[in-house]
Amino acid sequence: MTRREDVAFLQGTARYVDDVAVPGTLHLAFVRSPWAHAEVRSVDADAARRAPGVVAVVTAADLEGLQPLRGQPHIPDLETEFVDTPHPLLAVDRVRYAGQSVVAVVAESRELAEDATELVAVDYEPLDAVVDARTTPPANVVFRSAESAGDVEGAFAAADATVSASLHIPRLVAAPIEPRGLLAQYDADDDLLTITFSTQGPHGPRRVLSQSLGRDPALIRVVVPAVGGAFGSKSAIPPEGVVCAWLAIELGRPVKWIEDRLENFLAAYQGRGMDVDAELALRADGRILALRARVVGDAGGYLYPQGAMLFQRSARMFTGAYDVAAAAVEVVGTATNKPPNGPYRGAGRPEAALVAERMIDHAARELGLDPIEIRRRNLVRRDAFPYRNALGMTYDSGDYERCLDDAIALLPLDDWEARRDASPDERPIGIGVATIIELTGGASEAAAVDVDEGGRVVVRTSATAHGQGHDTTFAQIAAEELGVPLEQIEVVYGDSSLVPAGIGTFGSRSVSQAGSALVEALRKLPRDTRPARSEATWESPPLFSSGAWLAVVEIERATGRLNVLRVVAVDDAGRIVNPLLAEGQVVGGALQGLGQCLTEEVVYTEDGQPLTITFGDYTLLTAAELPDLETGFVETPSPWNPLGSKGLGESGAIGLPPAVAGAVADALSRFGVRHVDFPFTPEKLWRLMNP
Amino acid sequence: MKPVAFEYDDPRTVEEVLDLLAEHGDEAKLLAGGQSLVPLLNFRIVRPARVIDLNGVAELAGVREEDGTLRIGALTRVRELEAGGQPLVADALRHAGHPQIRSRGTAGGAVAHADPASELPAVLLALDASFSIRSARGGERTVAARDMFVGPFTTQLAPHELLVEIAVPPLPPRTGAGFAEAAPAHGAFATAGVAATLTLDEDGTCAQATLAVLAATATPVRLGGAEASLVGRRPDEAIDDAAAVAAREIEPMANERIGGDYLRALVAELTRRALREAAA
Repeated sequence: MTRREDVAFLQGTARYVDDVAVPGTLHLAFVRSPWAHAEVRSVDADAARRAPGVVAVVTAADLEGLQPLRGQPHIPDLETEFVDTPHPLLAVDRVRYAGQSVVAVVAESRELAEDATELVAVDYEPLDAVVDARTTPPANVVFRSAESAGDVEGAFAAADATVSASLHIPRLVAAPIEPRGLLAQYDADDDLLTITFSTQGPHGPRRVLSQSLGRDPALIRVVVPAVGGAFGSKSAIPPEGVVCAWLAIELGRPVKWIEDRLENFLAAYQGRGMDVDAELALRADGRILALRARVVGDAGGYLYPQGAMLFQRSARMFTGAYDVAAAAVEVVGTATNKPPNGPYRGAGRPEAALVAERMIDHAARELGLDPIEIRRRNLVRRDAFPYRNALGMTYDSGDYERCLDDAIALLPLDDWEARRDASPDERPIGIGVATIIELTGGASEAAAVDVDEGGRVVVRTSATAHGQGHDTTFAQIAAEELGVPLEQIEVVYGDSSLVPAGIGTFGSRSVSQAGSALVEALRKLPRDTRPARSEATWESPPLFSSGAWLAVVEIERATGRLNVLRVVAVDDAGRIVNPLLAEGQVVGGALQGLGQCLTEEVVYTEDGQPLTITFGDYTLLTAAELPDLETGFVETPSPWNPLGSKGLGESGAIGLPPAVAGAVADALSRFGVRHVDFPFTPEKLWRLMNP
Repeated sequence: MKPVAFEYDDPRTVEEVLDLLAEHGDEAKLLAGGQSLVPLLNFRIVRPARVIDLNGVAELAGVREEDGTLRIGALTRVRELEAGGQPLVADALRHAGHPQIRSRGTAGGAVAHADPASELPAVLLALDASFSIRSARGGERTVAARDMFVGPFTTQLAPHELLVEIAVPPLPPRTGAGFAEAAPAHGAFATAGVAATLTLDEDGTCAQATLAVLAATATPVRLGGAEASLVGRRPDEAIDDAAAVAAREIEPMANERIGGDYLRALVAELTRRALREAAA
């Protein structure tokens, strides 16, 4: 079934936040630090205040009484040494990354506001910048935790072989086609603050606004218009957004902040950014006895929106889809002079998959085993679910070997192995495999249903679409459950005044959590045609989807160019509600994952100056780069929700990169190369092949 | 990312443009397709007091053929050149940005902007094209492609001058052409590219070759040494040598993100590929 919400997007009538035009709206621009690290000695804004069209110029001193922004510091049940490092709304006496907002300028137009920012004189005293998370001074450690299970030391002592490796996973930007932005309006009569915000769920930003502004959440309404992509990067309200909201109240006029691409590159939180040293203890037959790893997370200048959480959760998944009895991980976060770390499609899962898959490939090579065979010997068996991994994550369901078998059948492997073995040094072919898990679902979402006299059904969900196709999927769930035509179902989302409270749409949770809440609400309705209303919430532990990915690559020795010849992906996300949208999720994620492989990397100079601030410097892939990709699905229902569904939204970003990384290592093995870090730029590969 | 305020002119004829340039040339920018100028305005990297919009000057657009010479109006959209006419031009322009960019971007804009990574200047250099340039005071002059590009984003055009037409002479008989480019992704700025023509004698040896490189050097440049190395030899025997000469003779534009030795190797391989295509 095709997406029913697309007409507005295709015809250009969908309204994004910048399309919402309210008469009298003021526009916000920021003076941003040119230095990665500096003391802010003084701000002279007199000239800016007198500039044409300027209504207000605001510094941190004006925001006294407002709270800086704190993220979820760490996994709640994990003891963590932690340095409280909230993100100030505007820089107080120090800037910690180039692009941090220092002064806010409000004017009658964005153009005038930008003109006035040039008139603000900030006296900075530059300080040394810390850029490389691996070499930061000890004083920069902002969080540290360690956990272990099983006899790790014993396993390493008794191992037939061990392998170790260091992986550097660069930072990435989410780069949604629509950058962040919001419109804040204040109604003094009702004392109501209304935020029209390009975000992934209305209730989370409302909570943060409430905390920062010291305002009753009941007096804040968050409305989510059409959203031009998010990929995790719009889950949290940015400091600039809180300033915008405060200004609307202070000035009594609507204030709009539409982030431009430069601001997004400079100041939006960035994903990945992790260094891992890992070791495996192995038995001669390839069984993994234990994993030991140390993670250095590039935390950026402030611990908002996430802090330690993503790194710690990632480390708990380092054993991947494999049955490993003992594991020990240490997670250290270091402050760097860069924007904060935050979620980006996969949010810790792709990093974990890369660790698990590269390490098992190293084990295969060390022991002389086939990469697929060593995986078969270690995969969690289909009769082992629910399976609790060494670090306490419980996998609800799956059939990992079947995904692998189906993927091999789609490739087909034998033909490609023959082509690889015959490939010349000028164009070596490599094959990579990844058998991955995907943490999805978890925590609660809510739904409300109203049925009127005419049989029309209005579904209100706490999930918030920003490209996923919720309008179609949730209507399908309701139509199927009630046995009524799809056209009778209206789906409402993205308004804190209309929908029940929930977390929102990220982390591949919408069908399994919000969809299950909807099923529960529908099942509470009377089984007749009376008008009725019901509500339900659904909560469950995380659900673990899985998948098997195979990639074939060819590398041109003369240029270093990497050609992805074929990719196959078989995912198990339990019951699939809409196969077309499911495949779209896999393909879209795969293309983003391929971007991580080929081109994407946020680059800073040693002084902390960003070198990737336009799409000319930071190359995003387009549909033109999509490789020959075939998908398949295995449906092992989750026993933990009424739909039997697990999540799928990050599969491609998790599964494709390690498969391609394995294929690159395979292709380059004849050049003595064991591992290459992302991105696989032509120059990097050329140097490895032409030493 | 909003431009600094500027005066806007919307002339209809070349004469009007020339008069505006005579008066305001030093502080004005010409707007054609806007694919480079508008981002530069928005980043406030350029801050002209005036923008003179050429899009209403109909006489600047269109392609015609005259005695085998292709005469390309400066306002001709890149997409139109890609769709027809000169095969080397068409081949190269498929690499120039995305189709949406080529629908707006113009031939004259690509030449006048002189981005080292732009395909069209290098191709015009390989084709020995020439440029008709007009001004209110100086009338019309013609500049050969070899003399046009003097530095990154810098041409022979003076602030009061307007590029009006590009003339591409016909290729000699028994001439093939080829183009090869390396870029991080479709539509992305090139890392390096090479445009080639190869003219054979009746005995199958090379009578003449032209080679122009883009992106790897500060301006599009002809590879004179590599061209000379081909003359009098059979292409299949000479191409590898020419590639090696090309790698040696360029001055690679290395920076913190790309090494000069890699650019040399890349130019060698792209020279090889472009020449093989031209010889085929």
